[in-house]
Amino acid sequence: MHKIYDYPKSRAAFERALKLIPSGIYGHQGPAEGCYVPVEAFPLYSSKAQGSYLWDLDGNRFIDYMCAYGPNILGYHDPDVDEAAARQRAISDCTTLPNPIMIDFADLLVDTVASADWAFFAKNGNDVTTLAIMTARAYTHRKKIVFFKGYYHGVSPWTQKIDYAGVIEEDVMHNLYVEWNNLEQLREVFDTHKGEIAAVIAQPYMHGNFMDNELPAEGFWKEVRKLCTDEGTVLVVDDVRAGFRLDLAGSDHFFGFKADLICFCKALANGYNVSALCGQEFLKNTVSSMSYTGSYWMSAVPFAAGIACIEKMKRIDCPRLLDEKGRLLREGLTDAAREQGFDLHVTGAPSLFYLRVADDPSLRLHQEWVAECVKRGVFFTNHHNHFINASLSDEDIRETVEIAREAFAVLRERHPL
Amino acid sequence: MKDEKVLAYCNLFGVLGAIPYLLELDEAARELVRGKTLSLGFAVKDGPHGTLAFSDGRAEMRRGTKGCSIKLYFPSCKAFNALIDGKGMPIPLSGFWHIGFLLGGFTKLTDLLSAYLRPSPEALAEKAFHERSTTLMLHVIAGAIAEIGNHDPVGRFSASNIVDGTVRIGIGDAVAIGIRAEEHHLTALHEPPAESLSEMCFNSMQTARDLFDGRLNALAAVGTGRVRVAGMISQVDNVNRILDRVSVYLA
Repeated sequence: MHKIYDYPKSRAAFERALKLIPSGIYGHQGPAEGCYVPVEAFPLYSSKAQGSYLWDLDGNRFIDYMCAYGPNILGYHDPDVDEAAARQRAISDCTTLPNPIMIDFADLLVDTVASADWAFFAKNGNDVTTLAIMTARAYTHRKKIVFFKGYYHGVSPWTQKIDYAGVIEEDVMHNLYVEWNNLEQLREVFDTHKGEIAAVIAQPYMHGNFMDNELPAEGFWKEVRKLCTDEGTVLVVDDVRAGFRLDLAGSDHFFGFKADLICFCKALANGYNVSALCGQEFLKNTVSSMSYTGSYWMSAVPFAAGIACIEKMKRIDCPRLLDEKGRLLREGLTDAAREQGFDLHVTGAPSLFYLRVADDPSLRLHQEWVAECVKRGVFFTNHHNHFINASLSDEDIRETVEIAREAFAVLRERHPL
Repeated sequence: MKDEKVLAYCNLFGVLGAIPYLLELDEAARELVRGKTLSLGFAVKDGPHGTLAFSDGRAEMRRGTKGCSIKLYFPSCKAFNALIDGKGMPIPLSGFWHIGFLLGGFTKLTDLLSAYLRPSPEALAEKAFHERSTTLMLHVIAGAIAEIGNHDPVGRFSASNIVDGTVRIGIGDAVAIGIRAEEHHLTALHEPPAESLSEMCFNSMQTARDLFDGRLNALAAVGTGRVRVAGMISQVDNVNRILDRVSVYLA
């Protein structure tokens, strides 16, 4: 039996934070948006991280399947990436004139990403999804954007919905929504708004919350690509979440099509803060003409980290490695569920799997199971996809499955057949 | 933006819709209608129609005005909202012999309701009043959530994202209501639902009060455990977005 964790120091820190920071921890890394149910089962702050592990303020160690919500792809504190970053930091970082390592990074990205003829750097995923939409509008002189329901493309007003606090009708009045994998709806929208659609923006597959993740149907992307080309609409792939976990050449390449614009962040530099918009040649001049930058967007340290990260991902064939680890974990978790008579759905790509205990439509059983896993040292979250990183060992996977099994046994005792 | 028609629905089925629960909670309110069996219909042109039916110290709010014993007509949603705001008078279309109740008992009842829904700090200092006031606010909010989710354009967008099933909203073990979603149409349930797909529970009357009065942030309260959510949290999330709109209409 594993030790059951508790978190008095995390709680104390959170109480202090509430006095100083709106909602204590805002966004998806906070207990509310992070769906920490019940909140007592979850740590709230970390003290350190290494490889596949993070430690909370109370000294509890977790095998971390959120990987900072994606950036940790090689393992926390990967020595090669950290060394490259340290080397660059000793030279220069945030300076008046950019360091030419920026060009090296762009060169590497163009060489790596199949649809990329150029690269533009920023800091967060939202920076580059926003640039992608502005680029599409500038190029097409059109206003409307098509989204697939269940999407997440950042936090700028255009990415949000009309009922979100601080968002006004005008922010989202040109947003059009269709269901994932529904080509008929997409065609209808193109027919209804003939000549008005600037961009279709989509993640490479549907990794929405509260539902099983859904891969593209056979022929879906090919048809979306054709529709966009025929209608003069820019096809934007938001690869912020899945980027480099499916295919180093981009998730569009993985699914057999070519995006006009593709957005990267998270796994780009193993936690160093940089994002990138890559695109096809015909859009380069449009981006050149735009006024879009930020104080830290040309900092050199993240570029050095990004170069080291991509080179290492290539050396170790990272997507294949993550896929293998993900499959091994998926098999172990579903077996552990089955042993206790539970139906665990593991959906999406193995390298960024989504979990759902499907025996209860209210998801309460699922939340109970996740809570029991977390209290024993496996950091899952309830309703977001998870992430595999390259440092995850077979021993980590074995321990995870053992804890999952124990958690399912607790559930079965509580909810006998 | 506040829409007069949506406000009229909130006022009729949320605010006046709380009168049955006022009668359950307050002896003085019950006394005002004890022995009375009559029904008061509200017919708002281009707006809501509803009937408050009294029967010996109890009441229920029904949709429509068919068969009501007194029918009040309002030429517009704005006119009805003005009445609720204490600034207008209705035109009785029928049931003139009950006018005494309208000007007497019913007016006192609505005054009492106002005292609970817009309480003074002194009144709230008394625990029993605080509990009754907060419970009534929960009923008003339940009614308003359903009306906003069904009639307000932004509320309808939120409702369009709510999967079928019932959200339970409770205050400790003391009181609970439900919001039922069926094909994105919302219905307020003014009793603890037998089953729920999701839940949001305030750990005390004070927590509920603080949230209703805007002194406590829901996200922060989830973090401290003062508010608990469970089940299909997307339902709770979207109901909360409508709840934000309630303050636009009824603040």
